[in-house]
Amino acid sequence: MTISDERSSEVTGPVSGHPHETRKLSWTQRPGLLSQNLLTAIVLGVIGYLIGHWFGNYLSSGYDYISNSGQNSIANTLALAFGVVGWLGGIGALNYPFAKLFGVDGLEEESPVDNWTKYFRYSLDHKVVGLQYVVGVLLFMFTGGLLAMAIRTELLNPTTHYFSPDTYIKIVSEHGTIMMMMATSIIVGPLGNYFVPLMIGSRRMAFPRIEALSFWIFTAGYMVIFSALPYGGFPTGWTGYAPLQTQSGPGMVSYLLGFAVIGTGMILAGFNQAVTIINYRAPGMTWSRVPVFVWSILATAALLTLATPVLFAGGLFGLLDKTVQTAFYVNEHGGNAYLWQNLFWFFGHPEVYIMALPGFGIAGELLPVFCRRPLFAYKISSAGMIGVALLSFFVWQHHLFQSGINPDMRPLFMLTTELISIPTGFIYLVGMGTLYRAKIRFELPMLFVLALFFNFLIGGVTGVFLSDVPVNVTVHGGFFVLSHFHYTIMGGLLFAFMAGLYFWLPKMTGRMMNKKIGKVHFWLMFVFFNLTFFPMFIIGLLGQPRRVFTYATNLQGLNDFSSISAYILGFSFLVFFYNLVYSLWLKPEIAPANPWESLGLEWQTATPIPSYNFERIPVIMTEPYRYSEEGAPTYADFGTKDAPDSSTPTKA
Amino acid sequence: MSNSVIQSGTPSQSPEEREYEMRALISSIWTGGRLFIGIYTFMLASLVFSYFYLRSSNSGQLWRPDHVTAPRGFGFAIFGLTLVTGLLAYVGRKRLVKGSFMDFSVAAWFGVGTSLIALVLQIVELSHLSFWPGSSGYASTFIGFSVMNIMSLVISTYWLETTVARGMRIRKELSGENPEFTSHPRARAFRADVAAMSYFLVFLTLAGALLFAMFYLM
Amino acid sequence: MANQTNTTGTVHHLRRMATVWVILSVIGDILFSIFVAPHVPPGRLTETAAKDQTDFNILFEMALPVLFGVWIYLAYALYVWGDKRNKNAAFSGEAARTNMKTQVWWMVITSVTVLFLAGFGTWALVVDHGSGGGQGPNPAFAPAGGLKAETAALLGKATWSPGSTNVLPVQVIGQQWKFTYRYPTFGGFESSQLILPANTTIAFNVTSLDVIHSFWAYELGVKADANPQVNDVAFTTTKNPGSFMVRCSELCGIWHGSMFNSGQVESQTAFENWATTTEAANAANTALLPAFAWTYVPDANGADGGYYPTNDPYSTVETYGSKQPS
Repeated sequence: MTISDERSSEVTGPVSGHPHETRKLSWTQRPGLLSQNLLTAIVLGVIGYLIGHWFGNYLSSGYDYISNSGQNSIANTLALAFGVVGWLGGIGALNYPFAKLFGVDGLEEESPVDNWTKYFRYSLDHKVVGLQYVVGVLLFMFTGGLLAMAIRTELLNPTTHYFSPDTYIKIVSEHGTIMMMMATSIIVGPLGNYFVPLMIGSRRMAFPRIEALSFWIFTAGYMVIFSALPYGGFPTGWTGYAPLQTQSGPGMVSYLLGFAVIGTGMILAGFNQAVTIINYRAPGMTWSRVPVFVWSILATAALLTLATPVLFAGGLFGLLDKTVQTAFYVNEHGGNAYLWQNLFWFFGHPEVYIMALPGFGIAGELLPVFCRRPLFAYKISSAGMIGVALLSFFVWQHHLFQSGINPDMRPLFMLTTELISIPTGFIYLVGMGTLYRAKIRFELPMLFVLALFFNFLIGGVTGVFLSDVPVNVTVHGGFFVLSHFHYTIMGGLLFAFMAGLYFWLPKMTGRMMNKKIGKVHFWLMFVFFNLTFFPMFIIGLLGQPRRVFTYATNLQGLNDFSSISAYILGFSFLVFFYNLVYSLWLKPEIAPANPWESLGLEWQTATPIPSYNFERIPVIMTEPYRYSEEGAPTYADFGTKDAPDSSTPTKA
Repeated sequence: MSNSVIQSGTPSQSPEEREYEMRALISSIWTGGRLFIGIYTFMLASLVFSYFYLRSSNSGQLWRPDHVTAPRGFGFAIFGLTLVTGLLAYVGRKRLVKGSFMDFSVAAWFGVGTSLIALVLQIVELSHLSFWPGSSGYASTFIGFSVMNIMSLVISTYWLETTVARGMRIRKELSGENPEFTSHPRARAFRADVAAMSYFLVFLTLAGALLFAMFYLM
Repeated sequence: MANQTNTTGTVHHLRRMATVWVILSVIGDILFSIFVAPHVPPGRLTETAAKDQTDFNILFEMALPVLFGVWIYLAYALYVWGDKRNKNAAFSGEAARTNMKTQVWWMVITSVTVLFLAGFGTWALVVDHGSGGGQGPNPAFAPAGGLKAETAALLGKATWSPGSTNVLPVQVIGQQWKFTYRYPTFGGFESSQLILPANTTIAFNVTSLDVIHSFWAYELGVKADANPQVNDVAFTTTKNPGSFMVRCSELCGIWHGSMFNSGQVESQTAFENWATTTEAANAANTALLPAFAWTYVPDANGADGGYYPTNDPYSTVETYGSKQPS
């Protein structure tokens, strides 16, 4: 809200009596090691952790149950919470909220550094935050992926064990939790933050500080959830069901607090995106001219802002159970373990659509570019996304079909769950309709989009099996479910993320990704993704429950097949990382300004994108995606004579 | 500010562009304020849901043995102060719209005071409970309510304080211009902020009434 | 995807696709129903399992054409409209932005399919008495005599003998990390073996002593979460003798993976022999067990029994579920 204030005063010249005009940089904002950056965040984070730990011990030292158990959840909670606050303070996220107390509107808080160190700072430029997010989610994904390799290693043999059951269950829980947290942000964070303002023709985000805060909270959340391992891990899986939650040790605090912290970041990210999309669309960009990726981010943001507070509250109650000994989830003391299941899944089901919708958005955005024709049934696609978002609030009890609650509600939840496949089907109508009589270009991003349609179909159809209560009896809680959601989240979202990266990295970095290595990556990932997870449907049907370290010996063949495929799937990510290093540093190939000949607004800006995005705020003239249409007007009027030439390569 | 990244190389803005972004800024504050109410509603709804869920399941007949109640004196005092804060925010904004910045700032500073006292009372109340946190379902949800109420009171105190401080600063820095009237961008943003703040505080008061009734009266 | 022709005006893309699709779908469904369907889990050891299997097969036979439809469409589209084949054509992607007829048809077809599936699922759930899923203490879809047997079991009046049509209540108690079983009809003895009579409707009463487990009797088509202080009821009707596997399918801690054993469906007389013999052999132990109850609340003195929903171990209320006959 402050940048435009600032700009306007620049245009009109100094406002009389405005003292900020000549204000000098405070020492925290100067370039150099001692200013606020990642290092100060680490230092203050550690100091905060130590203070919190001391404070927690001080507060609770008088209680017998704590001194007798040798576990002090209060100290753990406060240590992590203070650590998060220290981290945020160290990076500089708290300067502005503090200055606000004195009536400052924070204009002087812009990051003054415009060199590579801005990527290690609290930057308010949505493009910097987007790139920070790219690195953040890739780090997250790599950690979770390594844990997945460990899981598959343990499942190589039902009788010879590589890990103790204790270690194994920690690995499984950590894998699930990390991946869920990562997948929530994997598109909204990097690509949403980077491209939404560009695609709606805005020069900025609505709340750049909240956007930056969401990223730094995301990183703090990563560390909090990872702190579970040194604390001894938690045995509950990512669902954290009570009473196992109540029973387990200090690692559980990291899980609960980690979700609360990450949840806060999710709420903030969604909040900023929703407000930006609603208010900062360029003139002329009516709701029927909004790119479909932006629609998907808007629908996702609605879910992020409205569903995540429930997770936050659920995590808070769990932390209270752990620390001040309340009994929200303790049956014996007037609580109810089902309460957690209800709160968790009331968040948890919208959560899975948070992880699906951005993927649909990317598919819808990329298809017209590579099909050289308009998106088929544009309105249906946005209606589908909104329909999915709305319905997702009414399906949560399908996770509790065998739990023993509300048997009379099962037909209703079966109905709502199956109804959600209607708006999801819209996405297929749009995708298939766009392919009809197109001129398809098989570029790398397109391959990933096509793979998404292939994978998500299997994920979606098996979802209908799961929603059917009689079939659910057999498949619930087994590898069938596991395979189903890997098909939707990994097969859908992760493939969409890869499509998005291959598509937009030339814009973000000014370098083309190597096509040959990219094809190797794609085929390895696509083939071995299917070879890893398809056998798991059969494994599940044959009776293998989730999260087990041992299984029936007759399933060893299928499990080994799956494990070996998983290793190659894991290797395909190394190929991807190699491609990144190769294309960005080893043998950079400068990207043309618009390598895919897209009509999208984001490609019409200069590369590298100036901090203000657009020379003039563009005026949107017509609907998006009017490819191959004779005499179609240009999408936007940029109001400049020297619009970037799309043919000359520019250096990043 | 003059050294900011944004400034370096920023193209000059036409008056139309400036106004366009200004309007987007104002409506962002409007949208953001309403969306924040939505977020907060879902968080409080989780508490309300937990309350009624535990009440109806009554595990081990331990929902609320002997109808334990948190100290009512504290409850009435805290809710009364919340109510006053909400009213002050509402009236203060009305007065600002009418053109009296002085009335607004008096109301807001009083609001900061009442909200702070409520915050202190809410914390002190926790050491005057007649039950242990884990003694019943009611006790647990009450602790959850207290934590959320502390959050609410911190937010309302902070938001009231920052708006009124901002208004005073604008008044000082734009000497001769009144934040209630001037069309200076900072003043326009300030007024939008006050509107969002007063809306949120009125929402908190209404939600507080429901929670007060649930925990102290029912 | 309405029937349109391409620029040459002769090729009916959709007609071609539809032909391949119909042929493949019919072949696929026939092959599936002959070679795969009879072997689909959970088999046909009980009525429930058989119906679950049928349900799965029907879903699969509906899903197969959907999968084929999309795959054939994708393959056809990628082959015919790929830019390698069209390199020299002036044609550069159709400019039509939508087609109302296609949209309407798509919505009608998906809606009808979905509503049919939901209706069919509901029907299957109702006629199959909850399809073997845990229905909690107040089952909404109980078979005839099911609730009566439950109440009788609690009062110690449940009876079952070979040839009778009575529902046999069996209690399943989960704890970290094993299942044990109590037979209220036979003096409430507790066994680590699950033996069931053939051709009998069984009411599983699943509960837990500690954390949430899930009682998954794989071949029986039964799955019910074992929640502490909750009596989760699931019904099934056994058919022929055979053995089945029991696994825990809800993460319950470190040794969750090894929480499994197996059970037997035996002939009615063999079952009665086993039950009466075990009852007699365990009489001394049974006397030391807590009285039979739907839930057990561990306290300082061990696992005490309590009645749902008023399972306060210190109260003497004896009601079972608000919907139960007294």
